[in-house]
Amino acid sequence: MSFMDRHYFLLRRLHSLTGIVPIGVFLIAHLVTNSSLLWGKAGLRGEGEKYSFGADGVTLGEGGVAYFQKEVTWINEQVPHLLLIEITLWAAIAFHAVLGVYYARTGRSNTDRYAYQDNRRYAWQRISGYVGILFIFYHVATLRWGWSWLVPGGAVWSHDAATSTLAMALRGSESGWTGAGLVVSAFYFAGVSLLVFHFANGLWTAAVTWGLTVSARAQRRWGGVCLGLGVGLMAMAWSALFAAVTIDPREARAVEASLEQGRVVSPGE
Amino acid sequence: MLNFTPAAGAGSGAGGGSGAGGGNRARAVPGRTIRVRVKRCEGPGKASRWEVFAVKAEAGSNVISVLQQIASNPVTVEGERTTPVVWDSGCLEEVCGACTMVINGRVRQSCSCLIDEYAPGEGDEITLEPMSKFPVVRDLWVDRSRLFHNLSRVKAWVPIDGTYNLGPGPRETPAQQETRYALSECMSCGCCLEACPQFTLEEDPKAWGTSFIGAHAISQARLFNEHATGRALKGERLEALMGPGGVSDCGNAQNCVKVCPKHIPLTESIAAIGRAVTIHAVARWFRG
Amino acid sequence: MSHRVIVVGGGLAGLAASVRIAEAGVPVDLFSLVPVKRSHSVCAQGGINACNEVARQQGYSEYEHFDETIYGGDYLADQHPVLEMANWAPRIIDLLDRMGVPFNRTSEGYRDLRLFGGSLFKRTHFAGATTGQQLIYALDEQARRYEAEGKITKYEYWEFLGPVFADDAGGGRRCVGVVGQDLRTMQVRAFRGDAVVMATGGNGLVFGKSTNSIICTGAAAARCFKAGVAYGNPEMIQVHPTAIPGADKLRLMSESARGEGGRVWVPRTKNDARRASEIPEAERFYFLEEKYPAYGNIVPRDIATREIFDICVNQGLGVGGGNSVYLDLTHKDPEYLTRKLGGILDIYEKFVGVDPRREPMQIFPAVHYSMGGLHTTFVKGRYNPGEPLSKHVSGSAPPLGSEVGLGMSYGDPGNMVTNVAGLYAFGEVNFAYHGANRLGANALLSCIFDGLFCGLSVVNYMKNGAPSKTPHGQVGASVYESARSAEQSKYEALLGAASRGEADEKTNPYVIHRELGAEMTAACTVVKSEGRLRECLSRIGDFKERMARVRVPDAAGWSNQSLCFARAVGDMLSVAEAVCLGSIERKESRGAHYRTDFPERDDANFMKTTVARWDATGQRVTVEFAPVDGSLVRPTARTYGKKEAGAGQPKPAMSGV
Repeated sequence: MSFMDRHYFLLRRLHSLTGIVPIGVFLIAHLVTNSSLLWGKAGLRGEGEKYSFGADGVTLGEGGVAYFQKEVTWINEQVPHLLLIEITLWAAIAFHAVLGVYYARTGRSNTDRYAYQDNRRYAWQRISGYVGILFIFYHVATLRWGWSWLVPGGAVWSHDAATSTLAMALRGSESGWTGAGLVVSAFYFAGVSLLVFHFANGLWTAAVTWGLTVSARAQRRWGGVCLGLGVGLMAMAWSALFAAVTIDPREARAVEASLEQGRVVSPGE
Repeated sequence: MLNFTPAAGAGSGAGGGSGAGGGNRARAVPGRTIRVRVKRCEGPGKASRWEVFAVKAEAGSNVISVLQQIASNPVTVEGERTTPVVWDSGCLEEVCGACTMVINGRVRQSCSCLIDEYAPGEGDEITLEPMSKFPVVRDLWVDRSRLFHNLSRVKAWVPIDGTYNLGPGPRETPAQQETRYALSECMSCGCCLEACPQFTLEEDPKAWGTSFIGAHAISQARLFNEHATGRALKGERLEALMGPGGVSDCGNAQNCVKVCPKHIPLTESIAAIGRAVTIHAVARWFRG
Repeated sequence: MSHRVIVVGGGLAGLAASVRIAEAGVPVDLFSLVPVKRSHSVCAQGGINACNEVARQQGYSEYEHFDETIYGGDYLADQHPVLEMANWAPRIIDLLDRMGVPFNRTSEGYRDLRLFGGSLFKRTHFAGATTGQQLIYALDEQARRYEAEGKITKYEYWEFLGPVFADDAGGGRRCVGVVGQDLRTMQVRAFRGDAVVMATGGNGLVFGKSTNSIICTGAAAARCFKAGVAYGNPEMIQVHPTAIPGADKLRLMSESARGEGGRVWVPRTKNDARRASEIPEAERFYFLEEKYPAYGNIVPRDIATREIFDICVNQGLGVGGGNSVYLDLTHKDPEYLTRKLGGILDIYEKFVGVDPRREPMQIFPAVHYSMGGLHTTFVKGRYNPGEPLSKHVSGSAPPLGSEVGLGMSYGDPGNMVTNVAGLYAFGEVNFAYHGANRLGANALLSCIFDGLFCGLSVVNYMKNGAPSKTPHGQVGASVYESARSAEQSKYEALLGAASRGEADEKTNPYVIHRELGAEMTAACTVVKSEGRLRECLSRIGDFKERMARVRVPDAAGWSNQSLCFARAVGDMLSVAEAVCLGSIERKESRGAHYRTDFPERDDANFMKTTVARWDATGQRVTVEFAPVDGSLVRPTARTYGKKEAGAGQPKPAMSGV
């Protein structure tokens, strides 16, 4: 009996569990942080004008850039044992991904014959898993490990310039969109959308797997909760991405620079 | 002297019964000819081919009566004489499960498949294929031994002491009976397996013990776990379902419950067993 | 000891026998045309009869169950076996209950009961309206358990081609095995066994379309018959009053629909074009209730069938002028109906497209059950009153208790064995218990009773009978080889005929079967007469000739269903001939057998079992009559309180203790 067979149940359940803790929990935290790029002004509690820029004082990144930068700085400088946390997370993702691919290969989708919504979600859970693995790898490699050769324009993400370097990596250059940048942004859009779906749908199936929702009615109810959560996370994911690709890296850099110097950026500077 | 076919036809007689006739039934063209496309295969390892037959659709005819018509005169639309189609059937009233096949791309019993609903118009076509998750014996007949083998895997029986007279069984409430009855209506037809993306063709019996067991067996395990005496084997059933090919292999596509002709709450059974194995595993871990 | 038993047929009787024999430590080889779980027993709907505490406290008893069954069967059944069966019935229910059958429950958790044909007491136990399915599943599960332990070996998709007989030291013949054919590979093989139990069910397909499953050809019984086994009461064919007509089969609409309050009626005026719901109460003719005030809609099946037939065919009062009457449940609470009858109402809705909770069903009689079957013997039990008693007064104290062995001698090898030693017949293929008409919900009982009670007889036969001296292992191989090669040649001859000559309606087995069914239904079912029966007999002769030239439309040596069907049709003709000849020779009317030219029962000449035999040299059936065991109850007029018969009304059930 192979190792996989001997610990079959444990591995199956760990696969399910890791999808929620730590990966799902991290996903939520990550999206909350990143979406602050759009709603960050509210998070500054009235200090927003201190960080505003632009002639009319109104841009999409208004306040968000600064708030996001503060969050990123906090994470990178204040969170204890960050590397340990990261390694744990990477391990969990790798475990979930490897087993996920292994498990997914045991089935054969048949949505062509049985086009039920649940069945389509079954198929999409697997598609989103495959795409998600590629996306996460690209995302972490380029933005965390600094594999800049994979980034069009060669931007290297820096936690000191979180928004500007991110925007550059997504748009392909500092000055504007490039074709390759569009492809990367589209990949980001697909990746984050599919991962949010993967998490929300996985949360729904996990409740069946673990036996929390037994009756069809409970499964429907929990489906509503998961749908709500998914919609919320999707809104955050899309807002973060929208903010990141629409902001001018140079303007963002200005805000980040002013934060570094601890001074207020004034209009027209 | 005695004609057993009512002149008026039950359900559409002049005196009544015209009301609730389902969808296409009312619109079906009387006396039409339909086309029946059958996927044929002469035996294991042989290539499949399609044959098309033109058949006169009589009032109230179903796939069985159409196949019977073909049997008495097996000539294709091209005018070629062929052999009668081989298929499995039994009760013809959807309680034995034998005549399950894939009709117009979906699995179901052929006896309850009414031509008026599937091919209501002149020249309409209906497609018959064998189930794809079991090895074909010939034409539409497949070997579903694995399905029964899987019932043994979960010890789907009540371990009674024997057939001696030992008094009545355990009393149960009507609610308990209704729960068990719904599960006990499973006729082992295999629809849930055919539609399941996690249940795949496995011709080698040696691999049956570790390939996905399927919704029907999981549901039967629940049925016997729910019985006061059947519960004695609960632990063994759950252990079997925790291993390779057990309940964890379910991918929650939930096709099973939608194609089940008996409307058995299969996904509830899967979740109930999911809960049971969760508790069992935790308890076992702490118990040592 | 290396004894083995062969059980042919995996329905209720075959499974019960297999489980019982395996439990006694004897390995069983179980043969079935289909996976046993798909046997025809699944089609039984209404329930299973047994005396129970509630009925008992209202005056019912096992004895009254016995008496009802004898009266229902019009005094044709041998009485001792029926007594034993009725006495065992409550034990059988308990056993099924322990096996986990989900019998419907009362609010207090006891088994619920319903009313059924031929009784004024609620004594029918049920699991929704799919009782047969639930019972066979319970036995299938127990058989699977023994299979997992290696005590039962299943041969599913194997067809029984014939018994293997060996000459006995004592001069007679005994059964030492069977020849079977794998329906997939077409391999013909002989199997050794010390005893063979035939549990192969009925023969509905002889009548073309019936309520039976497609596998109920009666060919297995016919093959025994042609090998020299006597056949009892072939003419006793039950036509069920309520079935849904269909293109491929006639689907049963259980008697439980009437047991739960369903009412049978037709519009009083001919060809009334109104919808059923528009016809006011006063203009509805509840003919069964009017004619039989005490039993109403739950008169026995033969009576209900003849009344419906009379209304439609003779009086022309059928719905819309056609051959159907209303079976009406619309006055009952839909939720109640779903709980009690869901299974059958779904069948109606699925196949007819009308919800019977809202609109009355349209039904007509259909061939349903064969009371006749392989002729078997029994060994009387301890109860012998000397003089037969008068008909039991419903609700009065029974003359005896219900201990084991009063009716039949428990475990005696002579129970339910055919005229060939070692060849037993259980269940519907056994002619015993039901006489000239079977009461509803007694079939499941007789099948399981045979398996459980007589299973022990089989075991004792092996322990003490011929196999104890010469077990199957010591029977010469040539006995098996000659039986096998005879079947192999028959098979090859049919296969050879596949490529012979041109396709032709005359020699097509499916066409011959269709014509045979129509002929048998017309001549040998609800009403019979000498002239028509003679005509039928001569047509059977024609069919025989055509079968001799039959051309199987498939020449494949693999999974050749057409060949197996053709072979079955050929064998069915012998049973058809026995049915027809029995009907001709029984010049009286009794139970399901109604002769227009002899409308009265004639106890002096015909309270006898019809024993049909196959004359192998003349290739024809002969019939003689054997006495019936009528030693327990004296026959009385069977009127069920019919008004015009002027009979006294039966006493209804007591309403309390």
